[in-house]
Amino acid sequence: MIKLNDLKISYRIGNRVIEAVNGVTLTIPDGSIVGIAGESGCGKSTLMKAIYGDIQSPMSLSGGSIEYGMKGADGRAVTTETIRREWFKSISYIPQSSMNSLNPVIRIRDQFTDFPGTDSNKKRVLERARAYIGKLGLPAEAMDSYPHQLSGGMRQRVMIALATFFQPELIIADEPTTALDVVVQKEILLLLMEVQELMGNTILVVSHDMGVHYQVTHKMLIMYAGRVVEYGDTESVFADPQHAYTKMLIDSLPTIGDDSMRGVLASMAGAGGDRAYRVEPELIEVKPGHFMARPSVGVAA
Amino acid sequence: MGVLQYVAKRVGLYFAVLFIGLTITFLLPRLMPANPIDGYIGQIQARASGALTADDIVQLRANLEQLYGLKGDLFSQYVSYLERVVLHFDFGPSFTYYPQPVSQMIFNALPWTLGLLLIATLVAWLLGNMVGLVAGYFHTKKAATILEVVGILLYPIPYYILAISVILLLAYIFPIFPLSPTFPVGQMTPQKFGMVIYNSLLPALTLVLAGFGWNILSMKALAVATTEEPYVTYARLKGASNWTRMVRYVFRNAMLPQVTALALSLGTVFNGALLTEMLFSYPGVGLIMRTAASGGDYNVLYGAIAISIIAVATAGLVIDLIYPLLDPRIRHK
Repeated sequence: MIKLNDLKISYRIGNRVIEAVNGVTLTIPDGSIVGIAGESGCGKSTLMKAIYGDIQSPMSLSGGSIEYGMKGADGRAVTTETIRREWFKSISYIPQSSMNSLNPVIRIRDQFTDFPGTDSNKKRVLERARAYIGKLGLPAEAMDSYPHQLSGGMRQRVMIALATFFQPELIIADEPTTALDVVVQKEILLLLMEVQELMGNTILVVSHDMGVHYQVTHKMLIMYAGRVVEYGDTESVFADPQHAYTKMLIDSLPTIGDDSMRGVLASMAGAGGDRAYRVEPELIEVKPGHFMARPSVGVAA
Repeated sequence: MGVLQYVAKRVGLYFAVLFIGLTITFLLPRLMPANPIDGYIGQIQARASGALTADDIVQLRANLEQLYGLKGDLFSQYVSYLERVVLHFDFGPSFTYYPQPVSQMIFNALPWTLGLLLIATLVAWLLGNMVGLVAGYFHTKKAATILEVVGILLYPIPYYILAISVILLLAYIFPIFPLSPTFPVGQMTPQKFGMVIYNSLLPALTLVLAGFGWNILSMKALAVATTEEPYVTYARLKGASNWTRMVRYVFRNAMLPQVTALALSLGTVFNGALLTEMLFSYPGVGLIMRTAASGGDYNVLYGAIAISIIAVATAGLVIDLIYPLLDPRIRHK
């Protein structure tokens, strides 16, 4: 279970301080896929970086805390300071730009062993990795290939293999399918779901694609301007969105055969697209397990 | 594309470049309005204080044309030129040092030039890239910018000023090295070899300093750009060490353009040789070239130009053959 307590993350640019994540409090249960949506600049990626523990200048943790609910090798609870030691051991990361996140001049197999990892015996790691990538639908030769010899989908499978091989408790996937075509995208998402079901770990998926969230996630987190506007079970959020911003996000999903969408999208581009929401930091529980920011100050415009 | 096919293509290209280069070397001087034979006859006449008769001059002209391959029409001259150069590497005798063959003069000077310039260029490349890599990889750290300053200070200094400053400093003010180097002749002995090394250190130092700055700046810029690549960020998030990221991720990728630059600078070592060898009276190809140019010794110039063409083309070939080993994207298409 991961707990975020009034988490505040800011960027310092010159003398200005920008609060990218502005007081986020939530609990992420173990063994679930949590989708995070929201417009560009709403703080999704910053929140992911903070949870992963990649906090470096100009980014800083200006308030609150993260509880990981894991224990490190020394038996002490993992904190934001010590989470780095768990990288690619009990927490792993699937990057946004999977297409060029592999070193072009090094074979895939060497990219499985060039970090500390859980096992220092490289031969044993490679043997296991070879067997493992087969389960993810990759040919064994992929291990001996260079990245440019693999297709985009295969490269993304390699990234998933790298991130899941050590059976981490938490995986952070930052727009893992952005650069892929829809067919490969679906394959990759199904693969991710399969792996999660098998290992029972927690996955945080950032995506702009509400369709992806609907298909893949158990829980949804909607962010706006550095704050959470809505958080709940995916089905509940989609069936009965509470916040005006969530409604707009879900409404922006076109439905096949629904001609009225054309009008809705056009009007949103004109009026709603520029709408500004004011969001209060406190969440209220509207239904069991379904939270939203205070509705009284919902729409400012 | 198969390995054999790749190699065959490069080697074929290599010979084509050599052929074109040698042809231009043949044609260019023949387009000049001055006739070297007239010049030689004038010089000989002057030495003989005008004692040569008209018959003597006709005889002399025929002999010289024979000797310097200027007999017959352009085509037959070209055929005999190619035959002599390609089959025997024969550029005829030197005029100034008659009857010493040009090829022998060049072969005597070649080890000196290659020894000094190849080593100096390689050392400058290695040092410059190492410093540039550290400066680029840690470009956010203040201390690393000091390394870059070394490059910024060294790079714009013209070579002759740098070389003369080094001579003044290390041979005159602090006489660590000989002011006018002497190089032993004849059979090499360990003692003579030590002497050569000692006397070559100063010219080598100037060359390293001159090449160093460019390599630092270039590698620093490449390393900074590579450090921002997603695969380096990902390696950091995997928990890969600084050393792994700097060497296997940043350097392995940033070195590729630098290898090309190294090949190009190795090809042009003879240009660099000219100034260095003049300043340090170093008995290499550059010194021969300079003497030949000022004395109108055409055959020697041909030979020196031909060897430069061969050097540039060979450097290009070597790099074409090595590059696929460094960049798998070229090896496995």
